[in-house]
Amino acid sequence: MTKIFDTDRGRSLVAIQDVSLDVIEGEFLCLLGASGCGKSTMLSLFAGFLQPSSGHVMLRGQPITRIEPRCGMVFQSYALFPWKTVRGNVEFGPKMQGVGRSVRRATAQRFIDMVKLTGFENHYPAELSGGMQQRVTLARILAANPEVLLMDEPFAALDAMTRQIMQGELLRIHDASGKTTVFITHSIDEALILSDRIVVMSARPGRIKTILPNPLPSPRHVSVQLSPEYAALKAQVWQMVESDLLAHDETFRPNH
Amino acid sequence: MSEAVLVAAVSPAKARNWRFRHVLLALNVAAVAAVSLLWWASTRFGWVAPIFLPAPGDVLHAARLTLANGDLLTDIAVSARRVFLGFVLAAVVAVPLGIVMGVWRPAKAIVDPFVSLLRPLPSITWIPLTILWLGIGEAQKVAIVFMGSWIYILLYTVESTRRVDPLLLRAARNLGATDFAIMREVILPGALPGIITGLKVTLAISWSCVLTAEMIAAQSGLGALIWQAKDWGNLPLVLVGMLCISLTVLVADWLMRLIERALLPWERNRSN
Repeated sequence: MTKIFDTDRGRSLVAIQDVSLDVIEGEFLCLLGASGCGKSTMLSLFAGFLQPSSGHVMLRGQPITRIEPRCGMVFQSYALFPWKTVRGNVEFGPKMQGVGRSVRRATAQRFIDMVKLTGFENHYPAELSGGMQQRVTLARILAANPEVLLMDEPFAALDAMTRQIMQGELLRIHDASGKTTVFITHSIDEALILSDRIVVMSARPGRIKTILPNPLPSPRHVSVQLSPEYAALKAQVWQMVESDLLAHDETFRPNH
Repeated sequence: MSEAVLVAAVSPAKARNWRFRHVLLALNVAAVAAVSLLWWASTRFGWVAPIFLPAPGDVLHAARLTLANGDLLTDIAVSARRVFLGFVLAAVVAVPLGIVMGVWRPAKAIVDPFVSLLRPLPSITWIPLTILWLGIGEAQKVAIVFMGSWIYILLYTVESTRRVDPLLLRAARNLGATDFAIMREVILPGALPGIITGLKVTLAISWSCVLTAEMIAAQSGLGALIWQAKDWGNLPLVLVGMLCISLTVLVADWLMRLIERALLPWERNRSN
């Protein structure tokens, strides 16, 4: 699969090139890479926001040709409806699926409780902190019950402590729901804590450099970061990313 | 725990804010008092001749007279009714049209040339044609208000419809929304704050339209009151009319703000 963007000045930009990837049912897959490696483009292709220039994206054998509700997206910037309360936002997916009022209310409540926002059902997003808003988007997508969860650096805007808590909650939710999850991050730590497999990407054009199975024991807890295997693994991943970052740096030097 | 810390940090700021708002309010009152005093002194001590500026006492007296015989309230009611009809008619036409233009570009392409042609025309330029078509009765006044208002409502509506965050449209589709659901659940509520702002701004414009129309050809209304008072040389009554316009528009604005608060509950705590 390849995606080429036409830029304003008539030139074209190859965002990702010759990428081929199988996502296994139920796994937690992290796309890891520096900015500009095309990870967000990949996710947009999975969600059907974009169409590939060549090749195709298939979900259970069917090509994705339009915005695909079976692939639920958690946006980095939350994308909550400001005019809906927490409950209204979380109920949105079931409502669109034609679920009756009382059933969707119960569904929404279950996921609001799951992300620990009980008591905030009638608040509007603007009244909540960033971490709370991110939990609402998580509850909203889970209530819509898509087959695949796509997450575009959902915790990037959070402070370090909130991020750690959210990672723990996401692991718990993934273990409980068993949903296939594709998660974008540029943090090696985040990839190691969360994923079953890590797809390391390189930039310009975006390609898959390698796919690493994550040997850390699962179910996992955020405290896994303290183990010696973790440190060794992190060093290994860092080496792979580092060479790419340095190469990437060269392109910015005017004359070598 | 975290809530308690938050509240403790916020309350001194709130208290400071509260005190500051009272200082501002006092400044409001003081400024009005100072200008009134200056007005009173300039007439009392003959700095300005009464034919150019009547004394505050004369204005109050004229107000009491016209209130007592009921003329003033009738004129306010007549003008308000004309504004209301013209404004509502303009909103009923322009809001749906603007939404369609905002979401469907061919509609915008069809209407845009007419908007460009009509927009520069002040409502006063419609007076000859509307008198020819509708006479000088109520319909003509309502038509002037309509012609002066609908384009502004339209422009605000188109803009706010187009500015609905595309990310929210994407998110809604990703959650399974159909075109109809996108319209009802995302575009309409997303555009509503901008549309209401447009209506608020336009309401003041509608008032100036009706006053123009009434000054040129009308037997009643605040504009007619001012124009007739001028012909009789009754300057205090002119000022009474002008003050009444200000007060009426203020009241109309306040009503719009109440409606806005009721329709946009999510905007109330925006500043937090």
